[in-house]
Amino acid sequence: MEQEKTQVSEVKVEEAVAETPAPAKDDSVIVSPDLEFVNAIIQGGGESLKKCYQCATCSVVCNLTPADKPFPRKEMINAQWGLKDKLIANPDIWLCHQCSDCTAYCPRGAKPGEVLNVVRKMSIENYSVPKALGKLVGSPGGLIPLLAVPAVIFLIILAALGHLNIESIYNEAGKIAYSALLPSYFIDGVFVPIFLFAVVSLFVGITRYWKAMVQYTGLKPQGSIWPAISETIGEILTHKRFEKCNVTIDRKLAHMLVFFSFIGLAITTAWAVFYLYGYEILHAMGKTPPSFLLGPSPYPLTDPLKWLANISALALLIGIVMVINNRKKNEAKAGKGGYYDWLFIYIVFAVMATGILSELFRLANIAILSYLVYFAHLMVVFFLFAYAPFSKMAHMLYRATAMVFAKATARDAGVKY
Amino acid sequence: MEKKYGVYICKGCGIGDSIDIEKLAKSAKSGTIKEEDIKTHDILCSPEGLQMIKGDIKKGVNTLIIAACSPRVKYDEFDFPGCIVERVNIREFVAWTQPPKTDDTQALAEDYLTIGAVKAQKSDLPAPNILENLSNNILVIGGGISGMTAALESAKAGYKVVLVEKEAQLGGFANKLYKKIPTRDYKEPVIVDTEIDKVIKEVESHPNIKVYKSAKVEKTEGQPGLFDVTIASSDGVVTEKIGAIVLATGWIPYDATKLGHLGYGKYKDVVTNIEFEQIAKSGAITRPSDGKEAKKVAFIQCAGSRDPNHLPYCSSMCCATSLKQARYVRQKSDAIAMILYKDMRTPGRLEAFYKEAQNDPGVMLTKGEVTGVTDAGNGNLYVMMENSLLGEKVKVEADLVVLATGMVPTTRAPQEYLDGLTEAGTKGDEAKKAYLDSTPKPEFILNLTYRQGPEIPSLPGAYGFADSNFICFQYETRRTGIYAAGPVRQPMNMTDAQEDAAGAAFKAIQCIDHVSKGVAVHPRAWDLTFPDPQLIRCTACKRCTEECPFGAIDEDAKGIPFYKVNRCRRCGTCMGACPERIVSFKDYSIDIIGSAIKSIEVEEEEFRIVCLVCENDAYPALDTLAIQRKQIDPSVRFIPLRCLGGMHLVWIADAFSKGIDGFLLLGCKFGENYQCHFVKGSELANTRFSKVGETLNKLQLEADRVKMIQVAIDEYHKLPDMINEFAEKVKEIGHNPFKEF
Repeated sequence: MEQEKTQVSEVKVEEAVAETPAPAKDDSVIVSPDLEFVNAIIQGGGESLKKCYQCATCSVVCNLTPADKPFPRKEMINAQWGLKDKLIANPDIWLCHQCSDCTAYCPRGAKPGEVLNVVRKMSIENYSVPKALGKLVGSPGGLIPLLAVPAVIFLIILAALGHLNIESIYNEAGKIAYSALLPSYFIDGVFVPIFLFAVVSLFVGITRYWKAMVQYTGLKPQGSIWPAISETIGEILTHKRFEKCNVTIDRKLAHMLVFFSFIGLAITTAWAVFYLYGYEILHAMGKTPPSFLLGPSPYPLTDPLKWLANISALALLIGIVMVINNRKKNEAKAGKGGYYDWLFIYIVFAVMATGILSELFRLANIAILSYLVYFAHLMVVFFLFAYAPFSKMAHMLYRATAMVFAKATARDAGVKY
Repeated sequence: MEKKYGVYICKGCGIGDSIDIEKLAKSAKSGTIKEEDIKTHDILCSPEGLQMIKGDIKKGVNTLIIAACSPRVKYDEFDFPGCIVERVNIREFVAWTQPPKTDDTQALAEDYLTIGAVKAQKSDLPAPNILENLSNNILVIGGGISGMTAALESAKAGYKVVLVEKEAQLGGFANKLYKKIPTRDYKEPVIVDTEIDKVIKEVESHPNIKVYKSAKVEKTEGQPGLFDVTIASSDGVVTEKIGAIVLATGWIPYDATKLGHLGYGKYKDVVTNIEFEQIAKSGAITRPSDGKEAKKVAFIQCAGSRDPNHLPYCSSMCCATSLKQARYVRQKSDAIAMILYKDMRTPGRLEAFYKEAQNDPGVMLTKGEVTGVTDAGNGNLYVMMENSLLGEKVKVEADLVVLATGMVPTTRAPQEYLDGLTEAGTKGDEAKKAYLDSTPKPEFILNLTYRQGPEIPSLPGAYGFADSNFICFQYETRRTGIYAAGPVRQPMNMTDAQEDAAGAAFKAIQCIDHVSKGVAVHPRAWDLTFPDPQLIRCTACKRCTEECPFGAIDEDAKGIPFYKVNRCRRCGTCMGACPERIVSFKDYSIDIIGSAIKSIEVEEEEFRIVCLVCENDAYPALDTLAIQRKQIDPSVRFIPLRCLGGMHLVWIADAFSKGIDGFLLLGCKFGENYQCHFVKGSELANTRFSKVGETLNKLQLEADRVKMIQVAIDEYHKLPDMINEFAEKVKEIGHNPFKEF
């Protein structure tokens, strides 16, 4: 009897302990839908966001998502819940390569691929500085003022040089030479600061994004991030992730062409700098430059620099046309894409088209067309570089950063590429 | 009527290949049936075959025994008005379920023909029982959208309608609504005016409709066609003669004060969906606490619904209502509506309305379990959710919270009160008195003067709704001539309630029509027979008055039953209940079934099993297994009953004393998902059957010789095994020792 009583009281003590747990930390997520945010996604091209009925088909068909907390369902829900900060500070939005398998299989036509695309745009817009410029690049209304900036700059320079006439396109030898119209110092005087601005802005944006990822995911890279960086570079060069797409598998070749042409053209630019400034520096030092340093352009078509330049230009043109075609072909399954995507695609196309035409008109010796097309070329090249931190151009750094972060935090450890 | 017999045996559909027809024909010969009365035909249902029968009828044949297919088929062909027709099912029960041309098969066919002959000999031609001074008027109780629609539909069909509404004006809940969901297209506009005023005007101006407002039914006496309904209103008390009644008293919202965990009563800005209608109707969507405009409104779905502690069922309309109310919120372009649900349920076309709402950027829908509502500290509220879509706990910030509460039928309170009273009554008079003193009496609706109680009886699993059977009989209640429409019957929305009302009105009209012809109402809608008790032998045991599923039998002061024939649905439950065996129908009685059982030929070396079959579910299941040519043990003889509720224990004694070896009952499933056409026939049979042990003991027989099987109509594939296993079991036990006597 006595024993029984003791047992009972023991049980009671246990129950009492069980009944009063330590006050649980309230880790609830506060959901407060932001109508402006939802509307912004819709206006940015994710107009189907609201159709999502949260069935998770998207995450099931996605080949790129980690199994744990998979995307894009999570993002679709967070977008509907209006959790903007959580959404844009998320590495997953960039692990998505917009295969559009989710969009093709979505039973409600909610196009998760397109929605994530808009979220990526918003992420770039949010972290890049100055923000106002980001907003301008992201909205169709900004196109004219943004194009007007290089137009005005170059018009002022040309006017100051007294080159607002067709004759000034000819060099001393009487041939069309863009270096005669706008000497390289002026070009570089504009583009070098622009380039530096872009680099700094991108660096700041990426840093802000990295910090936000740490803050919102609660994940921290363990140890050195260099292995993650080298792995990421390897993946980017081989385009491995593109291979996991089903609906838009054709994109791999197109994207590779564009990607490597850009590298080719970057090398071309450096090469030309070397030709010009190597020659000029030696010249200024009173030495005779060696014959391979060709000095100011134009360079003969037989020069290896021109081979690389022309091959890259052609490849880029082909690549970007393929991008356009693929997008049109997959429109029904993958969605139309928004202004932001098409702006970037058409700017790249315009850079290449005006670049190649400038060369052709120069060789054909048509002064007026050469003048106009070259001017347009300067404008779009300016556009491409100056606005790179805000345009879709920035995706290469944001995505690479997100991939490094994911690898360094083992976020996508289970995914095989 | 002097009977002149005609026996017709069909050879078609494989019958001729299975049975020796000539031998069968010879076996039909008996004292009253002469050889020349027996005819065979290759295809009896062919024009020639039918012509042959009609020719005989012209020559005076008036009692037909048709040995052919199941009575569930060819009923139009073998319909001969003015004649007693006994169908003998030798196609499904013999030719299609037995090996051809064996002795057993032949014996089975001969037994069935004998049974048919006995029934025909014992049956009389029924005459309709048409009562005098029948009323064709329809009473509609409840002046909401259901009641008004029922009244209009009846009135338009040419019937006089009396409409009773307890409020001072017609319209019901529709009066409280700001807008309603459009009925056809859910594109813009997604919410429209209820236009209830137009309906009210139409009802009030219709020459066939008499409206009593601020009124209630004080007393309902009588039976279909002869109801005397006492109505009390502000204009005094009147009695109306009524033919049939539509019960459309609707619903009340679930009591939100029981939903304290969702903040109701604690926070002013937690309101019910009905209160929200009133807020919306008053103009802007404002908060009760400070009158500020609400910009973030959270709707908690299933507030108290699908919850065993509150309403265990789904009210089916709350999801669509919240979607509609979300659109009220969205009339302000910067306001957001958030619908938090366990599951969204938008049946039928409403799915399109749901999808349309999903497309609105300002309507957020998310799944999870709401666990409570708390103060957000900034004047707003947090709705706490668990098991959200991402598995996280979330807090949804809202400046106004709407609880989507469900529907409680108006019949529930009286049913619960009366059930409580019955239960207290079983504990004795003191307990009953204590109950009466302590329990507030709810408002009754019908105030019937029936012996079985003043309201529609409760039904397990119906949660107080005036529902009788979920599958087959939508508008039927368990009181004949009273048809339930709208949310009093089942939770539903306005559109469904209107369709429901039209259906119930039609059933009321059908009832009036049947009563005027002296035939039964559904489900034996063709039946001219009616129970005809020999009351002189009644011992006033009250079993019939208690067991009648429809309260058709009242009692006089001495406890002698008093049949209200128009309330009766002819199931024969009273016949099975009566220990004195005084209840009979013209073609269905203790004697007829007993004689049929006793007519079965019992050979000493053979086994014979009697199987009484419910003709509503089990019989069609047998027909179906026959179509699939499943084999049944040849010792089994099936005899159909109108309902197993009519099963009388004396038949078991009859069978075993005759030498029958086994006794099987095939009835409907009972319990929560009961399928009995007469509510609880098989259950009653089971209760009676449970006492059969005594009878068997008296006869010194094994209890395993009797069995009852519950079978659903779609379980035909299981039936052969069930029956054959029983037959094997009986054969294991051995022959009935009474066979030798």
